[in-house]
Amino acid sequence: MRYLTVALAKGRLAELAMDIFGTIGIDCSEMKDKKTRKLIFTNEEYKMKFILVKASDVPTYVEYGAADIGIVGKDTLLEESRNLYEMVDLGFGKCRMCVCGPLDLKDRLHTMTNLTVASKYPKIARKYFQEDNGQTIELIKLNGSVELAPLVGLSDVIVDIVETGKTLKENGLDVLEEIVDLSARFVVNKVSMKMEKERIMDLVERFTELTRGNSEE
Amino acid sequence: MSDWRLHTPTGVNDILPEECGIKKEIEATIWAVMTAAGYKEVETPAFEYYDCYVGEGGQISQEAMFKFFDEQGRILALRPDFTTSIARMAATKEADKKTPLRYMYTGNVYRHEQTEGVRQREISQTGIELIGSYSYLADAEVISCAIEALLAVGIEEFSIEIGQVAFFNGIVEQAGFDDVMTERLRERIDSKDSVGIKQLVKNLNIEDDVKQLIIDLPYLFGDASILERANIAGLNYSSKIALDNLKSIYKTLCSYGFEKYISLDLGMLQSIDYYTGSIFKGYTHGVGFPVCAGGRYDNLMSKFGAPKGAVGVAIGISRIMKAVGGKGFGRSVGSTLAFAEKGADAPMYELVSSLRMNGCLVEQYLGEGSDFESAMRYAENTKQECVMRVYSDGRLKVYDLNQNTVIDTTVNEFAGYNDEAMEPTAEELGFRRM
Repeated sequence: MRYLTVALAKGRLAELAMDIFGTIGIDCSEMKDKKTRKLIFTNEEYKMKFILVKASDVPTYVEYGAADIGIVGKDTLLEESRNLYEMVDLGFGKCRMCVCGPLDLKDRLHTMTNLTVASKYPKIARKYFQEDNGQTIELIKLNGSVELAPLVGLSDVIVDIVETGKTLKENGLDVLEEIVDLSARFVVNKVSMKMEKERIMDLVERFTELTRGNSEE
Repeated sequence: MSDWRLHTPTGVNDILPEECGIKKEIEATIWAVMTAAGYKEVETPAFEYYDCYVGEGGQISQEAMFKFFDEQGRILALRPDFTTSIARMAATKEADKKTPLRYMYTGNVYRHEQTEGVRQREISQTGIELIGSYSYLADAEVISCAIEALLAVGIEEFSIEIGQVAFFNGIVEQAGFDDVMTERLRERIDSKDSVGIKQLVKNLNIEDDVKQLIIDLPYLFGDASILERANIAGLNYSSKIALDNLKSIYKTLCSYGFEKYISLDLGMLQSIDYYTGSIFKGYTHGVGFPVCAGGRYDNLMSKFGAPKGAVGVAIGISRIMKAVGGKGFGRSVGSTLAFAEKGADAPMYELVSSLRMNGCLVEQYLGEGSDFESAMRYAENTKQECVMRVYSDGRLKVYDLNQNTVIDTTVNEFAGYNDEAMEPTAEELGFRRM
């Protein structure tokens, strides 16, 4: 039997995903050791390999077939727009992709010319404004603390993930528009799905079963 | 500043001798399979007018094409695929020929892929086009040729997934979707994004069983049983016809004995949109992308003024090379080194030429001066199987490096000029025919 390789986005998503793998009996206790610096873990019984990668790299590993399966947020999938199968909405890691800015821009957002948008997610931002709303924008790619951009005049608004809205409030910003709901997804390489259909569909069904409650509103 | 003289651009590569040998052998193997099925090789230009590749039934997005201008300012593009060019060729130059027309091609296509890294921009393909038939038997023929080609290059475990675009188009037509909506749905079904599909169809005013079918589409893949699951009462005529067509193709391929290599996927909806009927992709272990892909493109021929049914498949050579991993290919042919002593150039070349004519691979030693020792060192370093030392008086010493033997003879005797029966000696001495 071939190894099935699962790429996990490092951090909380990986932990939550491993809990589910644990529930269906595929354990990898090695990974629970907080001190370990290993990036690849093996379960010999089920012939599974787990690799820990940066979230934005998960779709890449899966698209190229270096991993058969990936657990990653919908935000990353949208931003990377890779060619793969998105099989299960795991329902955890829930948040929203939003346009945020000073409240007085709310009504003028789509009528402003030369709107400047700062974001960690340039593709999502560009698609939302240009394709979905037909509005040309000036885009600034940032890598962190995006909330700062409107405050120091770098941009008019930002496109970013909003979980509780606390960071926004503390910086005097508001959600102006919601772009899309986000949550963690179970993704599969297109070739792996065909070549290892039984094993992968079995996992897909179990994951769907175990996360059913999560994905409903 | 980088020294660009020393680098190849992103997405293109040199193919060095060893790899190139494997590539040519794979291409020749596929060539033989397709030729045996009646396909005739053709060549089309590496670039054409951009207009050829775009327009109604436009296929590959304009961002993906390498474009430039001719001296009159017309837009040219490097071919992004062969199918369009061959359809143009067949429609404009061979329209009166008796159909079906069977064409084969081998060459590179150029796509400006946005993804950095492993994805190539110069892609080697070998493929076939079968033009002039609307029958499902043509689809089955092209798919069976692809299967035979994969088997011939030594890939045993693979799966050809067959889908049907017309089935999806029928549903879209029935539901009355506009282009934007259709494209969104197509993308989501192709990536089996069931959440996204549900969001999209949730509020649509269409029959419940059709709505449910759209939601189920991503999961309608596997064996023939999915055809029954898809055959719901609410289907319109075009979708029903499409399902029947897929069933006929599947049954035909099963009757050819290919059941274990094929399966069906109604949720496969690739982005090249000149396809009108069956579409298929071949997958194997160890390659994260399809090794071959094709389908039926009945509207493309009419774009060039000669409406005809057509179906074709392209095989990605570098992906085949990755899947094969060099196994069974690239056997090296034993080489002989010819060394001329002073004044022996004429007899040496006569011998070399005669051996080459008999199919032996003979390399001439180019070292400075007449130092035989350095020729022997060179022979060892380059893994020659044999060294021929020719003297000006016609004497010849044959050093067999595999068996460590030396034979004293003459050029005339060795080349078999005195005795016709001498000829096989070359092989007995360790030469290998190419």
